[in-house]
Amino acid sequence: MHMASWLLPAAVVLLTWGIVGLLQKLSTNYLSAETALIWLVVGYFLLLPWLYPARSVFAYSTRNLLLTMLSAGLNTLGAWALLAAMKNGGKASIVVPLTALYPIVVLLLGPLILKETITRLQGVGVLCALVSVFLLSS
Amino acid sequence: MSVKGTLKTKWFWYSVLCIVCWGGWTIFGKLASNEIPASTMQFLFPFGCLPVVVPLLVSRRFRLERNAKGISYGIGNGVLAGIGGFALFAAYRTGRNTAVITTATGMYPLITVVLALLLLRERLTLLQVLGLAFAVAAFAIFSM
Repeated sequence: MHMASWLLPAAVVLLTWGIVGLLQKLSTNYLSAETALIWLVVGYFLLLPWLYPARSVFAYSTRNLLLTMLSAGLNTLGAWALLAAMKNGGKASIVVPLTALYPIVVLLLGPLILKETITRLQGVGVLCALVSVFLLSS
Repeated sequence: MSVKGTLKTKWFWYSVLCIVCWGGWTIFGKLASNEIPASTMQFLFPFGCLPVVVPLLVSRRFRLERNAKGISYGIGNGVLAGIGGFALFAAYRTGRNTAVITTATGMYPLITVVLALLLLRERLTLLQVLGLAFAVAAFAIFSM
């Protein structure tokens, strides 16, 4: 069977973020969620020596550099909003599956911003995946 | 709680903010990854986190709990999340459908549940078993 080129990196994402989900649970046994978020960013910084770019970052367009920074800022703001939802009375059993539905934003805006459409079969796969995440997080 | 009641709660709107932010994170990440290599994207990523983390630190007057185990888990989280972020950008750079990649990688609770089952001896609920079945179906479809 032909294996799609994106499946291998996607498997790495699943594995690493899956472990993160477990460690997050363990870290918040000892730290507040906000402190855990701060140490998570420290962990990001520890990877920098291995990721140091061979080419100057200023060789890339300002637009894409800004998009990268914006992407990172939104990721962290999203994590903070998740914590804030739980702090303000949201039950983890509701908030976690609810926020796990973020790929819907990509599904809705993808055709508009990225000019991408999905096939009917991919649509069924996406639906199965969304249902699975919702059920697994419950 | 009624729908009207839920719409008046703060937690609901924070959750919506989270969904919008994470949607934006993936879309903007995809757009930038068309030009910037995955390793450089992940190199820049922690600097983009600073506008959120620094005010958080200031609001706590730079006082953080000092628990060695908690800190180790927290840093370990960051290292693994960073490796995962790098792999996500690498997946986006293959040029395949962003919605499919985002949804497939968004299934990471699957691994968390399996690990919790194996390491923490937690038990699966009936809904989670059903969730696993849907995940297997999704993977089978994405592999075609």
